[in-house]
This record gives sequence, structure tokens and C-alpha cells, in this order.
Amino acid sequence: MNSTILEFRNVSFSRGPRLLLDRMSFGIEKQEMIALVGPNGVGKTTLLKLASRLLPPASGEILLDGKPLPSWSRRELPRAVALVPQELEIPFNFPVEEIVAQGRVPYQPLFATSTLQDREAVEGAMQAVDIVGLRRRFYSELSGGERQRVKIAIGLAQQPKLMLLDEPTQHLDIGRQIELIDLLRRLNASGITIISAMHDLNLVAETFSSVIMLTPEPSWIAGSTADVMRPDLLARAFSVAPKALGRYFFAPVSEELAQVW
Amino acid sequence: MMRASAREKPVAATGGQAKLDSRISTRTLNLVLLAALLLAMVLATALGAVRLPISEVLRTLLHPSRAGEAHDIIFGLRLPRVVAAALVGAALSATGVLFQGLFRNPLADPFVLGTSGGAALGGAIGIFLIPTLSFAGFSATAVLAFCGSVLTMILVWYLARASGRFAMETLLLAGFAIGTMLNAATVVFELHEEASNSGLRVLAAWLHGQLGIPTWSQVGLLAPLVGLAIVLGLPVAGRLNTLALGEEYAEQLGVHVGRVRVATVIVGSVLTAAAVSLGGLIGFVGLLVPHFLRILIGPNHVRLLPAAAIGGATFLILADTFARIAFAPTEIPVGVFTAFLGGPAFLYLLNHRSRESRQ
Repeated sequence: MNSTILEFRNVSFSRGPRLLLDRMSFGIEKQEMIALVGPNGVGKTTLLKLASRLLPPASGEILLDGKPLPSWSRRELPRAVALVPQELEIPFNFPVEEIVAQGRVPYQPLFATSTLQDREAVEGAMQAVDIVGLRRRFYSELSGGERQRVKIAIGLAQQPKLMLLDEPTQHLDIGRQIELIDLLRRLNASGITIISAMHDLNLVAETFSSVIMLTPEPSWIAGSTADVMRPDLLARAFSVAPKALGRYFFAPVSEELAQVW
Repeated sequence: MMRASAREKPVAATGGQAKLDSRISTRTLNLVLLAALLLAMVLATALGAVRLPISEVLRTLLHPSRAGEAHDIIFGLRLPRVVAAALVGAALSATGVLFQGLFRNPLADPFVLGTSGGAALGGAIGIFLIPTLSFAGFSATAVLAFCGSVLTMILVWYLARASGRFAMETLLLAGFAIGTMLNAATVVFELHEEASNSGLRVLAAWLHGQLGIPTWSQVGLLAPLVGLAIVLGLPVAGRLNTLALGEEYAEQLGVHVGRVRVATVIVGSVLTAAAVSLGGLIGFVGLLVPHFLRILIGPNHVRLLPAAAIGGATFLILADTFARIAFAPTEIPVGVFTAFLGGPAFLYLLNHRSRESRQ
């Protein structure tokens, strides 16, 4: 029995003349909860889009459940992988419930209306992220934390095995960040493999067991949190010198401050 | 109704109540709209230069074989015009819903892709060059306007694709450029010394949306076309709901965005062309009706499309009746009236919306 859910084999990707990912290879086991870290513009979002087939790799192969991505059908793939994007803007006043219901589109043929199964999945997704009370509210009027949870609910309605999240904690205050990480852990415990792009290294150090770190060369380091989140490696990736204080990291904001340290 | 739980109550600066989706049910609205449509049809048939009592109208409609003056007025003049108004209103409002969904913008109107320019040029050619010709009951103007808008659409689509990076903005810009060019070509026609005075008057009325009295064979061809296009628009409308999340998100959810685009543009162009061939360029209907109904039943395109079709038909029948009788014996083009009414109504709705969201 194959326990690898996602595998990159020598995957390269360029944006214009710039090589973003250079022959990247790694495998992710089922049920893992992985943080994807690295400086801005290093290719975290690109990697998530490659894994959900929104972008094709320039070379190399990506396998989901042992099957190459191009051989997944258009409706099959979103039932296995859900990408929760960084930004979601909705031009009309759709109530939350109808937005979450879009996660069921991969299950619905063109002329079908929603089935009992669809409605249960939407209800379950809203319960899991605790937005049942928001069902008739408008997305445009929700707070940042509520919006994050609506986006995750769309992904849950897809009932995926693998969930990819693009900086789910951005714009959230510390309380909402912790709530969100707790939510991700619950989802992970319920059987969903999670890969989440993250900026807050302390949250990563505390809550993720494995890390993929992209560095600007371009290169990457993958492994357990303890192995990857080392001050020397972080310095290479982020071109600052974070200090470790127990499990936590602090990056001095300037040279003068660095001397104080 | 579901209330926001206490914990989720927004801490808005104004301390206002959370805004909930508390819109009326679609079935109720559709029944009300259908009743209004029937009422408007009867009323519009009764009103005009010769005022017919409602009872007479109903009797004649129920016994169409009975000859007489009322019969001639109703079946020869009024009813074809009412049906034309209904078809045009339904087609333009439905196209508005589809294009607004495709462009994710409530300000996209049926002519957003430049089709009005092609229709205007076709119409001008018909009016000035071959005013007496007709094909299968259609005037040359109607046929050329239809062809003009469909050809413009094909050209705009082709240009947007040829530019390499096919995006909605490219499509909009190509539409704008081509539409402007074709409108300029129409002006050349108007200013040509051989353009007759009467031709200019006909063109001016047509460009401002003058409904004519179609023959029953015209109605017989266009009514099924409009009906079919709206029915085919329904599955497309379902995908437009997903497209509201963004094109990339829709793609990620398995939606074939390219196909949705093609289908929307084809259905919308056929509807616009049908409307243009019956009534020239009637503005604001495609903006106003969807916008108003979105406030009543929400933005779900599957529910909005049929409601907009029925509501648009009703609206344009009433508007055209007013345009016919308000300044009798002079008829003003219904497009002038919709612009007169539509402008302020639209501003009111915009203001209403922004006030609502401030609360």
C-alpha cells in the first residue's frame, strides 16, 4: 500500500527568465501536516499551484496518490486536492452558504441540482470551521478571520484528501492565528493531509512536525521541523540572522539591533 | 431565519445589526413577476391611440377568430408590438445577467463587447442603401443589424484571442475599440450628402431604441430563438456562480472556464442580436433589471436569469406603452424613455446600496 500522497519528481518551474524551482523532488506521506516556508517571491504559491495543477511544471513530474497529475480528470482532481487561496474577492453579495456550496461543483454534473449528499457536505464543512451562524451573512462583510474560515469551508466541502493552504494566517491577529492553527490540526487529525504556506516561523516551530523550506538559490530543504528550522538554514533562506530562544525565533530588524543581541 | 450567533456579532463602529441575507424566495418572486407580465400585456394591448376596454381585449384574446375592429387593432398592431417589447426586454435583461456574471462586474451591459457598433452599422446600411428590401418578413435593417452584431462579436473574440494572452480585459478592450470604430463608420454614413432626411430620422429613432411592429412570422422566428437561448443559458448560469470566486478558483474546482466563456458569449450575442433586430439599441434595461432583482433575490445566477427574463419583459412592455402614449400622437423611442427613467433609478439604487452597507 502506497503511503505517499504527493510526490514531486525533478520538478522545475520558471517565471519568465527566473528559475523558481530547480529540479525539486520530495514525497509527502498521508496524514502529514507540513509547513511551506521561505521568503517572499521564492515560489511558495507557485508550488501550491503546481500541486493542484493550476500551473504545469516546465519539466519533471508530479504524482498524486501515485498517479501523474495530467492523468487525473477535471472533476476527479478537485475531489482529491483542495487549494485554499490567499485572496478571495467576490463581486456580488453571495451569502456564505452559497459560497461554501461551490466546493461541491466537482461532484455536480452540468444540469444537476444539489443532492442530499451535497447539502450534508456543505453543512459538515460549515460546522467543522464553526461558521454555521454566518450562513446567511455576506462574504464582503466578514472579518479577516471569518473569511479565512469560509475559504477553508469551501475546501472542506470538496472532501479532499490533501488540502493546500496559501498563508492562511496572514492578516489575522494572534488569537485568530492560534484558532486557525488549531482548526488545521483538527482537520489533520480527521485524516486530511495538510500543506500550508506560512510566514510566522514561531507558529511553524510550535505546531508543524515537518517543514519544506524554499531558498532563493533556488534550492529547498525538507525534513522534520527540528532539522530544518535551524538558525543557519533560516539565515540562508531569509538573508537575516534569526536567533533561537528555546523553540522560538527572533529576527533582529537592523544591524544596530543585531549588535544589541 | 438563522441569526448570527452572539459570538460572531460584528463589532462594527456603528454598532449596527449584522446584515443578513433576508431576501424573498425565488418562487414567490417568479409568480409575482409572471402575474405582472400578464397584466402588463393586457394593459399594453388596451392602451393606445384607440383606447380599448380591458373586457374587450380579454374577449378578443380568448376568441381570436372573431373578426372586427378590435381584432384588427389587437392582432395587427398592438399584440405584435407588445410581444416584441417582451422579447427585447427578456433578451437584454438575460444578457445583462450573463455578461455581468462573466465579467464579474455588475456594470457590464449587453453591448459591453461592442455589438452595438456592429448593429448600428448594419442598421445604417439597411436604412440608407436598401430600405425597401426585406427577407422572410424581416426588413433589411433588422437582418443587417442582427448580422452586424454577431459578426462584431466574432471579430472581437478573434482579436482578443489573437493578442496571445486571452483575458477578460483584452476582450473588453477589443470590444470597446471595434465598437467605437463601427460607430464612427455609421457617422460617415449619416454625414454622406446622399443620406436622405427621412433616412436620418429613421436611423436616429432606431439608434435610440425604437420598437417597430413586427410581423407574426418575425415573432414566430425570434420568440423560439430567445426562449431557447435563455434555457441554454441556465446551465451556463450555474457555472457563473462558481466563476464569481474568480477564474482561477473556478478552474481549480474543475470548471472549464474557457468553455463557460464561449458559451456565455454565444448565448449573449444571439440574444443581443435578436433584441437589436427588433428594437434597435435600447440601453439601461440590461443593467437596471438584473441590478434591481439582485437586491430582491440575491446574485445566484441560476435564479436570477429566469427572473430577469420575465422581469425584463414586463419592464419593457410598460416602458414601451408609456413611450407610445405619453406624448401621443408623437411616439418617443422606448430607448429614450428607458434612459430617462433608468438613469435616475440606477443612481437611486446605487445610493440605496451604499447606504445599506454603511448601516
